[in-house]
Amino acid sequence: MNPTEDQIYVIIFATLFLGGIMSTFVISMVFIHRQRQTQNRQKMDQVKSEHEKTLLNIENEIQQETLTHIGRELHDNIGQLLSLAKLNFGSIKPEKQAEGKEILAQAIQEVRGLSKQLNLDWVESISINEFISQQLERIHATGFCETSLAADFELIDLPKDQKLVLIRVIQESLNNAIKHASPDQIKIRIYENGKGKQILIKDDGKGFDASQESTGSGMFNLKKRMETIGGGFNLTSAVGKGTEITLTLPN
Amino acid sequence: MESKFWNTYFNYYTISVDILLIIGIYFFLKLPKKQKANSLYWLPLLILGFSVCYEAIGAYLNYNYEFKKAANAFLGNTENPSYNIWLYNISNKQITTILYLFLIRCFLEPSKKKYIDWMIPLFFLISLSLQLTGIEPLYLNQPFIGAMAANMILIGCGLYFIGMITNDHYLESKPLKLISFWQTTFLLFSYSLIYINSVARIYIYGISKEIAINMAHIDRVFGISIRLMLVIIILSPFLPKVFDSDPIYELK
Repeated sequence: MNPTEDQIYVIIFATLFLGGIMSTFVISMVFIHRQRQTQNRQKMDQVKSEHEKTLLNIENEIQQETLTHIGRELHDNIGQLLSLAKLNFGSIKPEKQAEGKEILAQAIQEVRGLSKQLNLDWVESISINEFISQQLERIHATGFCETSLAADFELIDLPKDQKLVLIRVIQESLNNAIKHASPDQIKIRIYENGKGKQILIKDDGKGFDASQESTGSGMFNLKKRMETIGGGFNLTSAVGKGTEITLTLPN
Repeated sequence: MESKFWNTYFNYYTISVDILLIIGIYFFLKLPKKQKANSLYWLPLLILGFSVCYEAIGAYLNYNYEFKKAANAFLGNTENPSYNIWLYNISNKQITTILYLFLIRCFLEPSKKKYIDWMIPLFFLISLSLQLTGIEPLYLNQPFIGAMAANMILIGCGLYFIGMITNDHYLESKPLKLISFWQTTFLLFSYSLIYINSVARIYIYGISKEIAINMAHIDRVFGISIRLMLVIIILSPFLPKVFDSDPIYELK
């Protein structure tokens, strides 16, 4: 083998080496891609299962809340109506009997109304505006505080999972305001800005220092739940200055 | 011109490139209007058309020696009037590299396109200044510009592969069914091997002219395979069972 041949072999070897390096690079990229694809799928499955779990929890909580409400209604409203009807039917006066029939009819209507709330089908038929309106009316009816709703548009055609989460978050935010803030007024506003569609829940209650970490997991859960549907949750509060909760709806 | 020109022009390389251009034009015309307007499809056709043009000019220069001599003299090369290297430099090394960078840009995710947007004017300006200052004249071999072209293509391919393993849309796809993956892989291989081959050939030319001439066939084979890949890009919408749509284009 002469020196020229040697040099040619070196070039051939270098070329093969370079080709080998590039083949290894491309093959490793494909392998890394596969590995990441699997990881990504696992992550997606995990997110999906967490999302389903959150929805299931929310459904349970709404049902629990509904049952508590039904129990209260049965005791405070329907129970009273039935007792009154019983008293009227016990009377021999025909006008009392007629009044008793009217009360019974009212009780039947109330029972029908309550039975509709026992499953979650109502979630699909109701709009968020209607739901908020009902909740505020209920709070107002108890004489706890003044309420108002200002909506720039109707929140309709939301997917069921988004609706469930929003209903639960709004319900929980209102419950928190009633339980802890003792407000004179609760205002809810539905509007749209550069960030998208938003729901503002504002009370003029005691407020709290929002900079201090909460010991409970309530707010964290609400935030997390809004995030599972791709939305946002923002809370601002100060002692004596009330609380403002902004829910940003997913795009 | 007639027979001498055709004798100069017709060889397996130019015939292959011409056939590929005809196939490319045929299938490009059959593409829907929306895809015709897409740079992923018209850019390969442009590269194919450009290759055929400069090969024809090269053959004409070999046929018309007086014109070649005048062109070389115009560029300042009076020593070797038979050289065609200025055409090779300007078309194959510079313009084709820029066109391939544009093609790679089509495959990249939006956040990585900016790197190519910087690389193209940088390559153009550096090449131009190297030529104007006489450091690498157009009529001589241009090792620095060649190395820069090969490296920029390698960086572009690298950016594609990084996107492939990081972008969520690419992670959901099968790379072996993506035309962008095969085109990038072919570019990566051919550009680096053509580069090492061109460097080695200059050296080998001094030792054995015959081997150096034979080594030019490696360039030609790679040239044909890259152009074949360009035709496959144009053909890919007609082969839905073989190729999936590129995720970046799905995004658009």
